[in-house]
This record gives sequence, structure tokens and C-alpha cells, in this order.
Amino acid sequence: MEREGWRLSDKEWREWVEALLRAGKLVIAPVKENDLLLFRHVLMADEISVSDQGKAQWSPKEFLFPRSEPLLIYRLRGAEVDLEEPKADEREQVLVGLRPCDAAGLSRLDDIFLLEEQDPSYAQRKKHTTIVSLACDRAEPECFCTAVGGSPAGTQGSDLLLLPLDDGWILRVLTPKGKELVAGWAARWRPALAEDWDRTEERRSAVENSIQLSPLSAQWGTALEKSFGHPLWESLGQRCLGCGICAYVCPSCSCFDINDEGNSFCGTRCRSWDSCAFARFTLHASGHNPRPTQPSRYRQRVLHKFAYFPDQHEGRFMCVGCGRCLRLCPVGIDIHHTVERAASAASPEEERP
Amino acid sequence: MDQLVEAREAPERTTEKGWEPRIVAMVCNWCTYAGADMAGTARRVYAPSVRIVRFLCTGRIDPLFIVKAFEQGADGVVVSGCHPGDCHYVQGNLLARRRFTVFQALMDFLGLDRRRLHFAWISASEGVKWSRIVDEATAAVREAGPLRHWGRPVKGNSSAQPLLPDTDAGIAPRDPPSAEENQLITGHLQELVTNLLSDGTVSTVIGYTAGSLPQQMVPLFVNEPRDASTLGWNEHCANNLVIYLPQVLKKNRDAKIGLVTKSCDARALIPLIREGQLRREQIVLLGIPCRGMWNQGKMAAKCYSCSEEVSPFTDWTITPEGTKKGSLTSAERRQVSPDPRDREIASLGSFLPEERWDYWQRQFDRCLRCYACRAVCPLCYCATCISDKNRPQWIPTTIDGKGNMAWNVVRAMHLAGRCIGCDECARVCPAGIRLDLLNRGLVQEIERRFDFCSHVNPESSPPLTTFQPDDPDEFI
Repeated sequence: MEREGWRLSDKEWREWVEALLRAGKLVIAPVKENDLLLFRHVLMADEISVSDQGKAQWSPKEFLFPRSEPLLIYRLRGAEVDLEEPKADEREQVLVGLRPCDAAGLSRLDDIFLLEEQDPSYAQRKKHTTIVSLACDRAEPECFCTAVGGSPAGTQGSDLLLLPLDDGWILRVLTPKGKELVAGWAARWRPALAEDWDRTEERRSAVENSIQLSPLSAQWGTALEKSFGHPLWESLGQRCLGCGICAYVCPSCSCFDINDEGNSFCGTRCRSWDSCAFARFTLHASGHNPRPTQPSRYRQRVLHKFAYFPDQHEGRFMCVGCGRCLRLCPVGIDIHHTVERAASAASPEEERP
Repeated sequence: MDQLVEAREAPERTTEKGWEPRIVAMVCNWCTYAGADMAGTARRVYAPSVRIVRFLCTGRIDPLFIVKAFEQGADGVVVSGCHPGDCHYVQGNLLARRRFTVFQALMDFLGLDRRRLHFAWISASEGVKWSRIVDEATAAVREAGPLRHWGRPVKGNSSAQPLLPDTDAGIAPRDPPSAEENQLITGHLQELVTNLLSDGTVSTVIGYTAGSLPQQMVPLFVNEPRDASTLGWNEHCANNLVIYLPQVLKKNRDAKIGLVTKSCDARALIPLIREGQLRREQIVLLGIPCRGMWNQGKMAAKCYSCSEEVSPFTDWTITPEGTKKGSLTSAERRQVSPDPRDREIASLGSFLPEERWDYWQRQFDRCLRCYACRAVCPLCYCATCISDKNRPQWIPTTIDGKGNMAWNVVRAMHLAGRCIGCDECARVCPAGIRLDLLNRGLVQEIERRFDFCSHVNPESSPPLTTFQPDDPDEFI
């Protein structure tokens, strides 16, 4: 395998990030705030928290797909309406310290926002974003990336990847965009040696082996769709309370709502995150709700991620196995377990591919 | 989002130069509006900074209106109506007084500059008082300056922020129960549930079972006696299962439900009964003596001061020794420690208002508006939440400072005098917002002012739907 990378100390890569900041780039990285690890704009490379091995509380998707963003600004002057496009942010941003699942999640957003019709504001942000991921040293109890085609050292969605070693890091280049970001620095750094690469491989497989959950298969999509009317869904989703935690902390959830903020004189049309767990998500103006119960909303979430999306995107799940939904769910709903249960309920073991 | 915020504000607001205070006055039609009229006919000269919104009664003024005024760019708000005893509707202003008491306390807790919020009683004949109040409010707001930080910290992104004291310091938690005790209780519980379901005493039991993560316990619905063997019990059964009652009762109004409860959870039944949401006889409480809930090696803050091992409302008590009908009342009151949050609340109180404001704004800034706080709250049972109403859109849908501020203030207000302190909202908040401090602050305020405790007597009236003629109103 073609591999290009350098052997860096902690200090060396922080110096490099410091230089990126000096060059006027926005750097977004995990920072400790009130006991939470959160992606924040940092002003100094030293703020970045990578020694704490966990993943951030929620994914960094908001830096490409903000919680709320203006689509247009309106002003009414008598009978006339002035429309104004919001200013696009042209500054380069570098996302540092994403776990491979988070980076893979961003590539799912690419599938949604870039694959067919390009979403202008997402495309604009993506163009100005470079992603430096951080391979995992340890799997947390909720992790199941390997069950959905990912890896603790996965490269999908990343431009550069930091791989931990006992006494430093390997910074691996994955894309031309990544290479551009280290231009001028590569000459100063020591290239990684074959044995360094071997050691990262060992670590990767050790972490991979520590994840026990069995792989989910894209072929189960049909079985899942067949399970649509199965009474099992009632019990699988019975305890769901209909909050939006799972969707909002998810690296790949991308549903949004359009809302107007303002008054009769001026205002903004915004796009804001939305969650399929909310009753209002599908509520019609007539009062009819095609997904009337919480289990039916939870089923939609699971089928979208494991049946409909893979069907349209060459078998890729809209789930990257970060496990945040399980860890943060107030009632501990486990999506991996749900998929296994629903798929096996719809088709007996021997029929499954 | 700054751009968005600017777009919402009129052009003259963007510059400090030529700034004039913009004050919204919410007044009642019968007294203060007439008083303002009187000031006009008497040709009294007073500050032109007030925009009057006329209501039929101060009793109609929801604190949300005040939030909305600030959100839409008011620098200050004046609320005024008839003197106590003069209300055209007999008691509207007396009810409003209690509401404003709590709202004022909440805004104080959040650190809103006191100079921005004014309450007054002004009668129809007090044109002079009206002009004086407007002048005073204008002067105070002018001194406070333009309100630019509604929904954001005063000091921008500076990380210099006063910290709350370490909650663990100096207070020893209780010992958690041993694994054997838990096992014995689990066995007795399973047996009891099997019996209750078999003999038809209850149709459903809601309890706990092991979740997918280590030490995780999750809610479980048991409808068949044979499924009782999946029930479990230990010190990680954090959820308040009372939240599921409306859902089960909606499907079957006459259902009888068995509920595995800790004493703190059972308290939620009292306000629910008080508010007519359920009948006590529909619930069979399976109480388990609780020594505190633990998560990641820490005992939950609410458990330190909890004096009730078992709720007095319990129908069955399940101990390691066996099952007993009724509530187990131990002879001696158990040892309690002070609630560690009280030190944090006291510490917040010692901050400057501006520092408090920044503390909360930084917390609210993290709010994702997932509404998990609402979803886990046993007392959030409205068929349609105010945040889901869009005609008008009281709570901005936009997930930004203003929307987050409106949501968090309104959530706290709606639970004032109702919250029973189960802390589920704070436990589940993915953004770690200290909703427990907000709730507790208001619980204490209401206890102090109105001598009311939500979880004590289901026959008592909720404090914000009643009044005393001599309720304290020193802030008016």
C-alpha cells in the first residue's frame, strides 16, 4: 500500500497547527469544557485535547452543516421585498482531531449534500475545509465502527490522519488537499519508517479486535424493509421518548427544517437541524401524522440508516458506528442491537446472505 | 450566526451613536393604560422611550412576552397594572404578582441586569406615577446601555470564567449496596411482579433491565408474567419511570400499572395527581429502598440530601429480606448530608450579575435543542409543547443564542413550583447544561416565598395558580 507520512512528536504537530493558526486558518479541535470534550474554535494549538482518548461529546458536523444557518435575508419596504444572500464564509478551516468515525460521518454528509444536486452552502464550506483525523488508541464500550465497515484507523473522509505511537505520532497524508496543508513542513519532518507503520498496524488490529459487536450486512436492507409491519418494532421503540439526542449527536444525520425568523419588516429564512424522532417532523398541516407513534418514528430512523440509504448509496450505511446515540440516549436504545433483532425477525437466520 | 442576528435588528441598532433606550411597557387596560392616558391629558412631560403594549389584565402577561420583548431588541421592559385589590377581574394581578416574583428570581439567577426589568402598580389616577416610573426606568436602562447580549455572553468568547466550587469536596457519599443485596432484591422483585401480573392486579409493570453498556440500566415494560425474569435492580437504575405513565394510560385509560420506583421518582406522582393527570389508584408502586444512584463512580448529587429510603406512597416494599405490603418506614431517620448543589447555587449568587449571565449564556450556547430535558421530565406532559407551537412562534426554532435562551427560560418557568427535583433533565442533557441548578434555584425560591413544596400534598394548589393577598412584592 502506498503510504506517505512523517514521524512527529506531540510538539512538532502542535507547532504545525500553531503555524496554521498564524496563517489565518480557523482551527477546530476537541477542547475540554465543563468536563465535556467538544469541538471548538481554538486560538492556540495547546488547547487541543488529544491525550484524553475518548471521542467528542458530539460530532463536528456543525462546522460543515451548522445547527442553524441563514439561507436568505429579507427586508420589506412597503410593497417591495429586498432579498439578500447571506455572506459566505470564505475562510479556510481545518478540523483537527476527529475520530475516524466522525470523518466517515462527514463523508456521509457529502453523499447527501454533494452527490447529486450540490447544496451551495455545504459545498462552499466543504471546499474550504481540510480534515485531520486522529486514529483511535482504544475502543469505548459503545463503539462499533468495525460492524458498519469502519475502522479505528479508517481513512474515509479524512485528508490527513494522525496515528498514535507510544512516543509520538505518524501524520499520514491521504489526499492532495492534505498534502497541501503540510506543504513546506514535510521537508523538516522525518519520514515514518516501515517499523513505525507496522506498529500502527498492530495498534489498529488490537483496537479492532477489542470491538466485539458482530458486523451488520448491507444485504439485510431488504430484510429490514420486510420487517416494516412486524410487531417487534412496537417493543423495540416502546421506550423511546422522542427527544432529538440521537440525531443531533450523530455524525451522519442530516435532516433539517426550514424556518423563518423575524417580523413583518425584516428577517431571515434559516435552515435548522431537525430530528425524525420528533412528532412534529412528519406532522401535516391537517393534523394528520403519518408516523403517529414513537416506535414508528424510531423505525424510520433505523430503516433510513440501514435500509433506504444503503440502497441508494452502494451499500454504505448511514451509520458510522460511533455509538454516541447509545451512550447518550436517556433510555439506552441500542441501534446495533435493533438492526440485528429486526433483520432476524423478518427473515430467519438461514435465509440471510 | 452573527450575520443572522444583525439582520434581525433594525439598522440604527448597530451603532452606539445616537442610541436611545427602547423600552417595552406591558400594561393593563384598566389601570396603568388609563394612568398613562391621564399623564397625557395632564400634558406631563416624560421620556419618549416607551412603547406600550396594552393587555386586558396583568394576569394575561406571560413571562414569555417579556422574553420575547428582549429577544426582539428591547433594552428594558416595564410591567404595570392595577394595585393589589383593584383588579378589574378581582385577582388577575395577584396571580400575576406570583408569576413575576418567580420570573424576577429566575432572571436574577441568570444574571440579567436588574436595571432592565421593572414592575409597578399604577392606577388610573396615577398619571404622575406613570411618568415618574417611565423616567426612572429610562434612566436605569440608559445607565445599563444597549442590550446587545441577549442570548450571548457579555465578554464574547473569553474563557476567563468564574468556576463553581468542587461539588464533591468534603461531603462523603453513602455506601452503595452490595451486589448480593441487589441480587436478593432483584429475585424478590421478579417474584412479586410475576404474582401481580398473574393475578391481574396490574396489566403492565414498568421496571429496569440491563442495557447494552456496562453498568447501564434501561427501562423495561413487562406485560407477561414470564418476562418478569428480565427485570433487574442495582444502583444504576437512574431513569424516572413515571414519564411512561401518560403513554400507557393514553392507550388504556383504566389500565393499572405497576411501577418500580425510587423515592425521588415517586414524588413526581404528587404534582401529576394534583394537576389531574392520573389517579393514584391506577398505580401500584413497587418501592425499593434506595441508597443513592451511581454513575461513573459518583453518587448523584440529588442523593446526598435525600432522607427517604422508600417513598411513603409505596404499595409494596422490596428489601433484600423479602417483600412487604405498604411502605417500609424505618424507625430512625437516616443520615443526610447537605445537597452539594447548594454550595454551587450560593457561589453563583456571589458572582456579579454579569458573570452569572456569562456563566449561563455559555451553557445555553451548547444547547442543541434536542428537547431531551422535556422528553425525560415527568411533568412535561403538555399535548403540544409551547416550543412546538408556531402561530405565533414563541420559541424561535433557530438553534442559536436567542432561541436557546427562550427555550431554557420558558422550560424553567413552566416547571417552577412543579419540579420535584428528580434531576433527569440534567442527567440526560448531552450539552451538560446545569438544569438542576436552575430548577433547584426556583424550588428554593418558591419554598422561601410561598412556603410550598411540590411533592408533599396532592390536595394543595400549585403556587402559581393561587395567591395570598399579602404575598411579598418588594421588587414591585
